[in-house]
Amino acid sequence: MKALTRRRWLLSLTTALLALALTAAWWLAGSALRPVDLYTGWLLLGLLLGLAFFNARKKLPFLPLLAASTWLQIHLYVGWLACVVFALHAGLRPPGGRLELILWFTFLLVALSGIFGLWLSRWLPPRLARSGESLVYERIPRLRHEVEAEVLALVRRAEAETQSTTLADFYLRVLAGYFARRPPLLAPLAGDDARHHRVITELAALRRFLNPRESILADQLGELLEAKRNLDAQWAGQRLLKLWLFVHIPLTYGLLVLVGAHVWLVLHYAHRL
Amino acid sequence: MAKSVSSAPVQTGSIPPQGVASRHAAPERWDKPFSADMQEVDVDLLLAHPLFVATDPRRFPASIPLRGILKNDARVRRFQRGEIIVRQGDYGHSAFVILDGAVRVLLKEPTAEQLGHRRQVRPSVWGSLARWWRRPRFAEQAGNRGSAAELELTRDGEARIFLQDVPGVLAPDRTALLGTGEMFGEIAALGRTPRTATIVADQETQMLEIRWQGLREIRKYSPEWKQQIDRLYRERSLRRHLAETALFWNLSDEVLGRIADATRFETFGEFDWHHAYHRGREAGERERLEQEPLMAREGDYPNGLLLVRSGFARVSSRYNHGERTESYLGKGEAFGLGELISGWQGKFRPLRHSLRALGYVDTLFIPTAVLEEHVFPRLTPAQLATLTKGLAPEPAAPPAAPEANSFLEFIVAQRFMNGRAAMLIDLDRCTRCDDCVRACAATHDNNPRFIRQGPESDGVMVASACMHCVDPVCMIGCPTGAIHREGLDGQVGINPDTCIGCSVCAQSCPYGTIQMVALHDAAGQPVVTEETGAPIRRATKCDLCIDQPSGPACVSACPHDALVRADLRSSESLNRWLHQ
Repeated sequence: MKALTRRRWLLSLTTALLALALTAAWWLAGSALRPVDLYTGWLLLGLLLGLAFFNARKKLPFLPLLAASTWLQIHLYVGWLACVVFALHAGLRPPGGRLELILWFTFLLVALSGIFGLWLSRWLPPRLARSGESLVYERIPRLRHEVEAEVLALVRRAEAETQSTTLADFYLRVLAGYFARRPPLLAPLAGDDARHHRVITELAALRRFLNPRESILADQLGELLEAKRNLDAQWAGQRLLKLWLFVHIPLTYGLLVLVGAHVWLVLHYAHRL
Repeated sequence: MAKSVSSAPVQTGSIPPQGVASRHAAPERWDKPFSADMQEVDVDLLLAHPLFVATDPRRFPASIPLRGILKNDARVRRFQRGEIIVRQGDYGHSAFVILDGAVRVLLKEPTAEQLGHRRQVRPSVWGSLARWWRRPRFAEQAGNRGSAAELELTRDGEARIFLQDVPGVLAPDRTALLGTGEMFGEIAALGRTPRTATIVADQETQMLEIRWQGLREIRKYSPEWKQQIDRLYRERSLRRHLAETALFWNLSDEVLGRIADATRFETFGEFDWHHAYHRGREAGERERLEQEPLMAREGDYPNGLLLVRSGFARVSSRYNHGERTESYLGKGEAFGLGELISGWQGKFRPLRHSLRALGYVDTLFIPTAVLEEHVFPRLTPAQLATLTKGLAPEPAAPPAAPEANSFLEFIVAQRFMNGRAAMLIDLDRCTRCDDCVRACAATHDNNPRFIRQGPESDGVMVASACMHCVDPVCMIGCPTGAIHREGLDGQVGINPDTCIGCSVCAQSCPYGTIQMVALHDAAGQPVVTEETGAPIRRATKCDLCIDQPSGPACVSACPHDALVRADLRSSESLNRWLHQ
């Protein structure tokens, strides 16, 4: 068994056993009429603070605070455990109070965005790797602009050299719009870029109108279109891989604020403050 | 395969017509002389010097006359007392002959600071915190750059470094004296190995410095010089090198001496291989392979053992109309041993593989007769069996698929086997979050020391980060020694205090991992020279976070176990990571 697979099995098993033990303890304590909501509440607060510290660790790379990969593993499995503790604490149905309801849904959104991010960070990178050359996100707009300029220059050259407008017409009819368009937000989840395939198919259909020199230029055009496809794929993929964090992290901050209010209210009305 | 848009401009045009082609004179060997100051009168003086009186100029070919070598490949330099001529560990491309005066070889190395190297920082949490607290507001601030007291720049911009505490360091009991007519630096120049000692001028001294190309030609055409250089090499280095080779362990000094006497020195490829590497990057694999000098041909019968002294060589075998890479050899590794032992046992076998120089390779050739007399009889049957294992053909076994070696082919083609700490990124795991880049910037003056982009193969990217090479060509020619090996693991570091921003290292690095960056003042404005107003720059590169207690920040910041700093000489650990 590979090392990473072995690690996954081991940590999954440990988390499952811990979750079972906690559920059993919760049931036993509940049967003994102990204040289990208070216990699970404090435990959940501790788990949430621990989970949130993963982001703080990223800001302190110069301190020997364990490797970020170890922190991510802790974050993932403690996250699963927190879901179980949350279910024990708040139940599986939305609560009645307004604050509690918002808190309940915020936790759900944080958990779901985290699960989505986990799935995305496992599912998308191999597809991006297979798409073509890996590129630095910030450089992609400039590279796309360069490719677009190359295409325009090539089409103009084709017209000047061959006195034929086939490729120029194709540019005006199809390519100008194709280059102006940016991939939609969830495009990476849709798999193959159907629009790119349509453009390539239309270019292939033009072949019978091209002379040998134009055919050579059409080959070069095909390469540029392939480069554009990869640029779009890399850009859209990397954008999605960054954007889910813009949902997960702000929601986490919101959750922590709501949790603070919830704890204050609970302690206040329990006459502990 | 997807077209690369980042590494090369997109090829869109046909070949331009000849009428508009720009015409240049064909490049010639001495287009760039070693020193523009060498005049005919200096050459006359050198030819009349006792060093060259016995050298017969008629032995030199008309295209490479001795006079031309001295004018173009040599220069006369003057050193003041206490001036450092060469430093231990530096990579040089020239040898020195003392024309007048004396130098001292330091038997006890001075401190790194005395030699102009960076002060070693012990990694600590408090040190990291303090550096973070004092981090500059703007990247690469000039305030962080001091001026080393021992560094002087001459009027023509040449950097000179002087020892501090000259009487203490040059005490006779800590040094050895070399006088007029003696040579040093030839081993590092011809063998592309680090300087083995620091040498300092003992008095005002006039030296002849010959770059490696000239030294190679003089050695080739002058028997007297060849004899002297080879004698020095045998005396100073060869015997120790042989004694460190596993095959010759436990041999007596007498036997080692006989082997050393019979050993021939051979070099293959260009010393400045990085220039050819830049030219050949765009070439196809077949074309690149054909350009690599052949050291031994598959199918030939070996007449001696090839020991790699420095550099790398590709081991390949024919596969239909092409060649596939089986492995590569580095320093201390031997080629042809199994076939030689088999022949000694009476079963003569031709070489199973070809050997080609990857860049510059310096080898030792040990004739078969010497090995059969002194070495093979001492090997145990188990050792003999191990060394000849795999020689016999196995007709039943199907040949390995050539694509199975694609990552090895990639490493060899890109010359990445030079890397001791290459940054590999598993693209199947990398989420492009750039936490590695941010961590690098946070630990290095707000400016990351690498670019998360580079050649890819089999879903693995070799990012553009210093690999801390086995053969660090970037260190050749640094005028101040600012770029040097540091730390116990031999990381290549740059001392910002002695870097004069000449960019020799950045231009030499075949992998483009050294960046020249402009300095800024505390207000974020560029810092310029008083004389010309040109921006002051310095070289920056990955230092492998030598001052960080948790090691390279890029590795510890990667949440997905996607990034590793790998020694590409070790295929075992590399395979383990690739298949984790």
